[in-house]
Amino acid sequence: MMKKVLTTLFISLGFFLGISSGLMAQEGVTDTEIHIGQWGPQSGPAAPWGSVARGSGDYFKWINENGGIHGRKIVYHMFDDGYNPAKTKAGVKELQEGTGIFAWVGGVGTSSGLAVREYLMDKKVPWVGPSTGSLAWVSPPYKYLFGVYPLYFSEAKTLVKYAVETMDKKRVAVIYLNDEYGKNGLRGAMEQLAVHNMELVAEVPVEKSDTDMKPHVMKLRKSEADMVLLWVTPDAAVRIVGTAKAMQFTPQFMSTSTLSDFALMSHISKGLWEGVICATFGELTDGDDPGMAQYKQEVFEKYASREERFSLFYTAGIMFAEPLIEGLKNTGRDLTTERFVTEMEKIKDFKGIGSLVSYKPYDADDIYSRQGARHTFLVECLADGKTKKLTGWMRMD
Amino acid sequence: MIDFIQMIVSGIAVGSSYALMGLAMVIIYKTSEVPNFAQGEMALISSFFAMMLLTTLNISVYLAFFLALVFAVLLGCFLEFAILRRAKNPNILGFIIITIGIEMVIVGLVSWKFGAEQKTMPFPIGPYDSFIFGDIFISKLEVLTLVAAMLLMGVLFSFFKYSKLGLAMKATQQNSTAAKIVGIRTNRIMMVTWGISSLVGAVAGLLLSPVIMQPYMMWDPMLKGFAAAVMGGMTSLPGAVVAAYMLGIIENLFGGYISLEFKSVVAFAIIVIVLCFKPSGLFARHYVKKV
Repeated sequence: MMKKVLTTLFISLGFFLGISSGLMAQEGVTDTEIHIGQWGPQSGPAAPWGSVARGSGDYFKWINENGGIHGRKIVYHMFDDGYNPAKTKAGVKELQEGTGIFAWVGGVGTSSGLAVREYLMDKKVPWVGPSTGSLAWVSPPYKYLFGVYPLYFSEAKTLVKYAVETMDKKRVAVIYLNDEYGKNGLRGAMEQLAVHNMELVAEVPVEKSDTDMKPHVMKLRKSEADMVLLWVTPDAAVRIVGTAKAMQFTPQFMSTSTLSDFALMSHISKGLWEGVICATFGELTDGDDPGMAQYKQEVFEKYASREERFSLFYTAGIMFAEPLIEGLKNTGRDLTTERFVTEMEKIKDFKGIGSLVSYKPYDADDIYSRQGARHTFLVECLADGKTKKLTGWMRMD
Repeated sequence: MIDFIQMIVSGIAVGSSYALMGLAMVIIYKTSEVPNFAQGEMALISSFFAMMLLTTLNISVYLAFFLALVFAVLLGCFLEFAILRRAKNPNILGFIIITIGIEMVIVGLVSWKFGAEQKTMPFPIGPYDSFIFGDIFISKLEVLTLVAAMLLMGVLFSFFKYSKLGLAMKATQQNSTAAKIVGIRTNRIMMVTWGISSLVGAVAGLLLSPVIMQPYMMWDPMLKGFAAAVMGGMTSLPGAVVAAYMLGIIENLFGGYISLEFKSVVAFAIIVIVLCFKPSGLFARHYVKKV
């Protein structure tokens, strides 16, 4: 009898301690570790953007080597989702519910991010710096989601404004990928043109599977556009610019930050990218920013694999993670989700290798309570993929 | 009118790469009745092989292309000998699954060895160098692809019609057992068929490579080539070529006059229509079950 009572007592005590410790412990945080997750395509059609997740990983190694954060090391969990939202969802759930992740960082792909946004927000798991500039992350804002990438919508507005006001362009056309990414650019361009009492002279959709761009370029040529805004994939952009050249159609091409890796674009277009103007989201990899130089020397040269390139996307992986690290540092040793969110909200004019980042206390009606980056600068591609800065950092509307 | 002519010219230009892939698929189908879904990736790895030779050995582009074509023939023979022949009494579905498996392995191999970032093949003709006739243009590379497609079609057509080996290939397809009885080494015939098919696909891959190279570059041409082959009747070489040019032209006209959004899928809508009304394809002489 006594044995039975004792057994019951021990089991009850075990359950109590288990539940209460579960209630008290912060998911993804131990005395010595903070677990951070990220998905990124290491295979499949979007694999060239896989360097984002690798850049973040090397940055965390550097943080750990420099003492970690308040006595804790970052344990980084990166998985390959192949740019497939179904795989993103499965991988995120597996890590979140299996290992336990304190916060997610980056994450390439609007569709991939959309597949897990509700899940992460319902579970109140912080997510800092989705690796796309979609409005979907901040309109409406989510309490646990902090945007770092400047909005495509705002980039398009800035480019059109520059074309009309500074370059005196009169006929603007947009060629866009027929998805969320492309439509964000299209919407921004239309809105900015309305400010100038102008309208698009052509809007041409491109499908992901399109490889023959002649019909598209014929439409652009017919519109007699003097500025064409490209909001497509790198492959499609090169084909469009090349086909336009072949058709002797020579407008000013302008494009989004996703196509501002001039070294790559110049190489794959065999020099045709020269003269294209892009918005960009971070300091130039070949520029004179001291932060960028430090990362090149202390992160890239030390931790990156031999095949890695110190590219825009590799450094973007660092850039998206910088505000997360800032938030973790400011939170201190007593790390909980709510305290972390409060500290993130206090970040004001934080300057890493990207735009200034500022957040505000959560306001469901203010996208800038969660959209941290609001600045960009414009660059022009020169011969051999070199970069010319056309403007300094500008605040976007 | 200028636009209409330009669309027709552009359709013919883009149809050439579909034609080459279609030809490659028809060659294997003619002897084994297997649609080879690894066709695109066999061309892919041959193209990357040429790229590797160019960048590491610093040899001339012509020699690199020639060696890549030799590699393509050996690869085709190897795949037939080492993988397909080893399958134990597989049915057609089994063969199709094997080719899909080969396709996945090759894509993985190319991604691992050469990385995912886009590249471009050095080539004497720039990908956008063009002939201009008034307001009509056609790229020089596409003219070269067109000439290659026509030439290969002619050579293959004559080969299947008049050469001993070509006739043996036909006999193997029509009745493998009877072919064996009359002394045809059907295994060897199959191996040679895969080699020739791989060579034709590699020509398409090499002529697409000066534009952009990445591990998924052959997926779309392969699908369009397959669509053309089905439309042409799967066993007809001229049928596949004519259907490929029809597809290219229809795609361009559809994109120009109806909808750019659905331009890429119009090929597959056409297949469905063709299979509904003429299941043997547009150019096959008799009814054969295809897909």
